[in-house]
Amino acid sequence: MTPAELKLPPIGEPLLEVNGLAKRYGTKLAVNDVSLSIPRGSIYGFLGPNGAGKTTTIRCLMDIILPDAGTMTLGGLPLERRLRDRIGYLPEERGLYRKMTCQDQLAYLAQLKEVPRREALLRAEQWLERLGLSEYVKRKVDNLSKGMQQKLQVAATFIFEPDLVILDEVFSGLDPLNIELMRDLILEEKAKGTTILFSTHMLAEAERLCDAVCLIEGGVKILDGPLDSVRAAFPFRVVRVAYRDGKEPPADLPGVLDRRLDERTWRLELAPDQDPQALLAPLTAAGELSFFSANRPTLSEIFLTAVRRRRADVSGEGSPS
Amino acid sequence: MNKVMIVVRKEYLERVKSKAFLIGTLIGPVLMGAMILGPTLLADVAGDQDRTVAVIDHSGEVLDQLRAMLVDLDEEHVTLEALDCGSDVDGCLEELKSLVLGEGADAGLVIPADYYDRPELTFYNTAASAIVLREDSLEPALNRILRAERFRRHDLDPAIQSELMARSSWESRHLTEESDSEQSGEVGIIGGIMMVMIIYFMVLVYGQQNLTVVIEEKSSRMVEVLLASLRPEELMMGKVLGIGLAALTQVAVWTLAGVVAAGQGVAVAGSQIDLSVFGPWFWFNFLVFFLLGYFVYASLYAGIGAMCNSVQDAQQFSGTLTMGMVLPIMLMMLIIKTPDQPLATVLSLIPLFSPILMFMRISVSNPPLWQVVLSWVLLVLTIWWASRTAGRLFRAGILLYGTSPTWGSLARAMRG
Repeated sequence: MTPAELKLPPIGEPLLEVNGLAKRYGTKLAVNDVSLSIPRGSIYGFLGPNGAGKTTTIRCLMDIILPDAGTMTLGGLPLERRLRDRIGYLPEERGLYRKMTCQDQLAYLAQLKEVPRREALLRAEQWLERLGLSEYVKRKVDNLSKGMQQKLQVAATFIFEPDLVILDEVFSGLDPLNIELMRDLILEEKAKGTTILFSTHMLAEAERLCDAVCLIEGGVKILDGPLDSVRAAFPFRVVRVAYRDGKEPPADLPGVLDRRLDERTWRLELAPDQDPQALLAPLTAAGELSFFSANRPTLSEIFLTAVRRRRADVSGEGSPS
Repeated sequence: MNKVMIVVRKEYLERVKSKAFLIGTLIGPVLMGAMILGPTLLADVAGDQDRTVAVIDHSGEVLDQLRAMLVDLDEEHVTLEALDCGSDVDGCLEELKSLVLGEGADAGLVIPADYYDRPELTFYNTAASAIVLREDSLEPALNRILRAERFRRHDLDPAIQSELMARSSWESRHLTEESDSEQSGEVGIIGGIMMVMIIYFMVLVYGQQNLTVVIEEKSSRMVEVLLASLRPEELMMGKVLGIGLAALTQVAVWTLAGVVAAGQGVAVAGSQIDLSVFGPWFWFNFLVFFLLGYFVYASLYAGIGAMCNSVQDAQQFSGTLTMGMVLPIMLMMLIIKTPDQPLATVLSLIPLFSPILMFMRISVSNPPLWQVVLSWVLLVLTIWWASRTAGRLFRAGILLYGTSPTWGSLARAMRG
């Protein structure tokens, strides 16, 4: 039941756009001039460490808190309450009515998203079946294990067939089996054309799923865009080495931008045009290697690099010279 | 369906279908009746407590008359135990005192030798409850003895004497435009008090449910899920209305049962209360003050609940609010005695008090129409203010986890 005015853009065109969003708590800027563009039909990762401002941004999107500045549009229309009925939201702080039956629970939440009662009850039953919880239709939520309850919460988010789904820290607290299940669900919904925005601090998980990402830290957007172009913007290689006697790699290696000890191996960040193979000779000349690897940077490495560069920029701008 | 109505439907059905509601509906009237009629009925059943009074009668003649008079006055539960003093007056008094101090007697009484000339009595007691014995039993009896003796001294004709000693008897008839019905004023007051108590209980019990429901919703982390679908104000309105509807259902069931029972010839809540003395105006006001009172308190309780994380947290704030209901109950005697004095008028116009006090005035007196209407208007304005304030508290507090509010943070949130 898309409101008549909402015309969904073609797949790949921006569905949700956020411009200059800001939210201040007291003296602390929780979100500072964040702009996002989320293409329809994509899985969009909203990434950053805990306290980066992800949840605040999402709550502004859902009109749960009022932003101090910024505009938000869905399909080109200002994001009013009515349009939020097209958005499914699974908050990080999520619960269920323990005394309600599973079917009533899902149907109630569907009704609140404008699904007529009969239809809502029917869909609730179908979803419970899909999740392998058919026997719990008429039973109270209390009878469900924690994993099952999480499935029910996810079902409640998708049951009204939203155009956009926002999942806040959806993987946190899940065991590997349920992470797998959640990943499958997200991919299934994406295949149906649903746009999914999910926030997480688990960058490895995001890397596996996302088509596009946005990284924020301290309320400020560090970088965003399709995953490929983000990678392209950070074309450096990462070499990790360790010596049998634990010594440091030589300091005068060619094309090394950054050199630091990271989890018992030395992490060397290479300039984009530096061939990792060329390092092998000087490294082995210095001692007996116990470990050597050369990779494209992971998302979390890109993130760390971007944060470091940004901090360097900021302090550079701030100095009197 | 409107989203508020979906919440109303859920909250209403959840309550009405619960066992607690069924039990409350069944035993509510029993409890209420017991609270109002219980003390009177119990006193009747238990009768008066047997009391022993140790008496030193220096006159030598008053004691016997007192015994006879107590029988005449139906005060046979009072036993008089005479102390024979002889010449040892001081020792005798000591004996009386030790009897009163011990288990021997509930009180002591010393009648002077010249009682008929100087009726100065000394009453010894250890507990304040003995005053009832003095005022209800001994004093009337001894006064009558004194009067009879003084009449006798003046040689009054016994016929005139008994005429002078006569007491008045009373019958009250409740006057309405249509008729006058045989009804003592006291019974009307009891009926009025009963209806006031229904407002009091229902507003408190159901109003406070809004507090616990909101806190539960926060602690079950359900609230943010819901806020993705509806505004905090809508969520609050749905809850307040749904719970209020359940309260109204309960009152409707009781009223209906009362009407049916009365139709069957069974008096409501014991034979003493006849609610038929109250006309449509009374019942209309009952409904108005019940509903308005509920909405004022329910929205404020809900707002407090939104700011707090546990019922314990909420106690200091909700307790203060509850005083708005409790204070008028404490002032009820004042209203019954002087329903139309300026003090009662002013108090009954204060919005937090008027559901109890204005309604009490309506049931024991006939306050001017403008005052009643003014109290409605003030209540409606208060509800408008309270729901806006509660909406603000809701928005400010609903996602606050972990921090307990203070009066300061509450005030800031109320200003929005």
